[in-house]
Amino acid sequence: MKKHPVSLTVNTDTYDLLIEPRKTLLATLRDTIGLTGTKEGCSTGDCGACTVIVDGKAVTSCMMLGVSANGKEITTIEGLASRDQLHPIQQAFMDKGGYQCGFCTPGFIVASKAFLDENPNATEAEIRYALGNNICRCTGYTKIIEAVMSAAEVMRNS
Amino acid sequence: MSEYTVLGKSVPRVDALEKVTGAAQYGGDVHLPGMLHGKFIRSKHAHAKILNIDTSEAEKLPGVRAIITQDDVESGRRVFATDKVLYLGEPIAAVAATDPDIAEEAADLVKIEYEVLPAVQDVMEAIQPDAPRLHSDDTKDGPARRVFRTELRKLERDDSQDHSARIAELNGQLEELADEVYYNVSAETHSNAGDVEQGFAESDLVVEDTYVIPRVHQTYMEPHVSVADVESTGKVTVWASTQGPFAIRSGIAGTLGIPLNQINVIATTMGGGFGGRFGVALTHVPAVLLSQKTGRPVKIQMTREEEFTDGRPAPGCVIKLKTGVKNDGTILAREGLAFWDSGSVSGASIGSTIRLRGVYKFPHLKVDAYGVYTNKSGTAAYRAPGTPQVAFAGESQLDDIARKLNLDPVEFRLKNMRVEGDPVPAGPNEPKVGYKETLQAVADAVDWKNRTKEPNQGWGVAIGDWTNGCGPGGMFVSIHEDGSARIFHGSMDITGTDTALAQIVAEILTLPYDEVTISRGDTNSAPYATGSGGSVVTFTMGNTAKLAAEDTRRRLLELAAERLNTDVDSLELKDGQVSTIVADPPKSIGFGELAAYSLSTTGGPIVGKGSFARKPSTPALAAQIAKVEIDPETGRIKVLKMASSQDVGFAINPMAVEGQIEGGTVQGYAWATMEEMQYDEGGNVNPGFVDYRVPTTADLPTVQSVIVEVEAPDGPFGAKGVGEPPITPTLATMANAVADAVDIRITELPMKPEKVVDALHGNGK
Repeated sequence: MKKHPVSLTVNTDTYDLLIEPRKTLLATLRDTIGLTGTKEGCSTGDCGACTVIVDGKAVTSCMMLGVSANGKEITTIEGLASRDQLHPIQQAFMDKGGYQCGFCTPGFIVASKAFLDENPNATEAEIRYALGNNICRCTGYTKIIEAVMSAAEVMRNS
Repeated sequence: MSEYTVLGKSVPRVDALEKVTGAAQYGGDVHLPGMLHGKFIRSKHAHAKILNIDTSEAEKLPGVRAIITQDDVESGRRVFATDKVLYLGEPIAAVAATDPDIAEEAADLVKIEYEVLPAVQDVMEAIQPDAPRLHSDDTKDGPARRVFRTELRKLERDDSQDHSARIAELNGQLEELADEVYYNVSAETHSNAGDVEQGFAESDLVVEDTYVIPRVHQTYMEPHVSVADVESTGKVTVWASTQGPFAIRSGIAGTLGIPLNQINVIATTMGGGFGGRFGVALTHVPAVLLSQKTGRPVKIQMTREEEFTDGRPAPGCVIKLKTGVKNDGTILAREGLAFWDSGSVSGASIGSTIRLRGVYKFPHLKVDAYGVYTNKSGTAAYRAPGTPQVAFAGESQLDDIARKLNLDPVEFRLKNMRVEGDPVPAGPNEPKVGYKETLQAVADAVDWKNRTKEPNQGWGVAIGDWTNGCGPGGMFVSIHEDGSARIFHGSMDITGTDTALAQIVAEILTLPYDEVTISRGDTNSAPYATGSGGSVVTFTMGNTAKLAAEDTRRRLLELAAERLNTDVDSLELKDGQVSTIVADPPKSIGFGELAAYSLSTTGGPIVGKGSFARKPSTPALAAQIAKVEIDPETGRIKVLKMASSQDVGFAINPMAVEGQIEGGTVQGYAWATMEEMQYDEGGNVNPGFVDYRVPTTADLPTVQSVIVEVEAPDGPFGAKGVGEPPITPTLATMANAVADAVDIRITELPMKPEKVVDALHGNGK
């Protein structure tokens, strides 16, 4: 299949790629660029494990073609922590036990970041609604919500 | 438990950093040079004869490297369907190609000719004489009867001694079963204690009902995946996302006739399992076969849709249940008959049917269970396999009885619960247990006695019991020259067990928690460890860690005694050093110095070993109370409160234990209210998250977890396995809350809004 040139920025690095039009952004990130922190849980946009931030908005990357990401700025889970410090959401997931098997965790953390960046004063109900596109099967969500609420407070105070 | 410094503390998990940064390597993250991608060619019918398989078009597609069918399985063991398919999605062939999309394209080009046969999906239809039959070898003479008959024939031929008593007993059992003639039976079990007929005759109230529990999928978030690399020398390496790497090794060896010592299984981080990630068949064996054929590494990753059609979910079942009680609430008798939908392979959780006895004193109990073939994929374990289903029936019925006799449902249960030393129907007497404490704890947590409710609101209580397993495991602990300790083992950590092991070793060696690190080896380099299922890991490997740490301590004390010119009995471990107990004059030496010294001693480096096979487990109870509100217009069940208590023996890491309670409770809530794999004659019709709903953050308020600690005599520091119990009561908890809210007993799950509305209207409300 004919490949198309695509230029995109992922976590501040720019990539000039040749990709088949049938490859998803998820496949581009994982298989072509080699950033495997973003996970594939359902391939139909229903579980949120593949959530990344595209130009400031949370997107399920299994539902976006790689060629559609041409010229876009993408943030993945690998782009959240600085060299010596975790993002407050990552720190909160650690401290509050907001993960178990960890497979859904990158998607949850990235979706939480996209939401809290836009809605720093969100209530618990708003957070629960906003994260409703992400499925976690281990935690029962209690500690995930605790983690996001506590991260929101840290982010507001910094 | 204030005497401990590391145990009983909610320290962050050992794998926290890699999990929150996306660095953890799961099965699908393995990428090898030259790797090919495998896809399955699957049956398009639920029951059909395969007339012809034509791979010629697919083979022509550029990038395709191999297509295999059962003809390529030299061992002859069934990997692919050959003459007949038994369910929609059953693998018939597999293709390996240079790209996953090419593999999928090729799979679509393989042409299969079928002769479609009538299929059966409902267990109650499948047991009828006119039902389509899946296997030619199944007869109405089920497995238990075959065992009885074989023994009978043997005894009748043996004249050496008098067998007449046993022969009469066996004939009696066969006679009793003579009227129970069912078809498509894959397995059966029968248990009996006391005399149920007498028990029902003596009862003031006998309640009888039929309960229907749907098949549900474990829905671990990472679909099945494996990468296999078969070298030209025949050496096999498999990267597997699995709960049991050693079981995968022996499974591959057994299925494909490869010597065990030629196979290395590297278990990757695992995206959940819940019991569904033990089998070798789904991806591991086909990946090895494709790699053998192509000489290249091959990755097979199932899609979510494939998980629903070809996964090994939890069995649904139909349970006919009858319970007799006295007017004062004394339970006398229970009789249960269960039909488990085992799909196309034997193996549903029929052994759990005996848990219909719950933790109550049943003087009279009779339980019969059958596994029944239907045209679905086979089943596997799901968190306390079989128990949520039977607890739903048992605890729903007790709730109806409490209502009819106007008894408080908590008091009624407490009155009938077994305590230490009580006989267990069809089992050994109770050891030390905390049943009453656990139920009382959850009742206290919600202030049960003073509960209030508005119209359309209701409170439900239920319990579930489980006993963690125990298996063999080995472990080493070594001390490095910097004084830190490292654990070497081979058991899989799904949700926090490595952290518990590090806490145990740190406590015994008096080290700070972060100075104990863990290495999980592959099956070539780690000592054998039992699979991570049955809530075994903390119990089993925790005991192993205790032994290994104690062995390490012994060696540290010996070395220190040499260095300090004193005897072992005058020394103790304290704050990561070995010190004199009586400080006169005080002497101490660091672990690091001892580790360095050990390298030049005749005894060699400090390596503590722990290895054991089995210790008795202690039963554990989970108890829950929910408050719900029903919207009479839409039938929606809103959970206003969910409290969940569990006897965990001793909580080594309370935060991790709470996480298990919360997660298990929500899975049970989902089984009760939304989850159901649906089938028509053609097969599964809801293979995705749009039609198979699982809960999200929007569904439930916070779960209030209540930790109860009744020490397990043989658990590490008194700990019991915690993973499975919390799912066991929730199906009934929710149904009982609905019954209390709108006076409707729903006996068929899930309680989707439309079902609740129908029930409300059917009840004339």
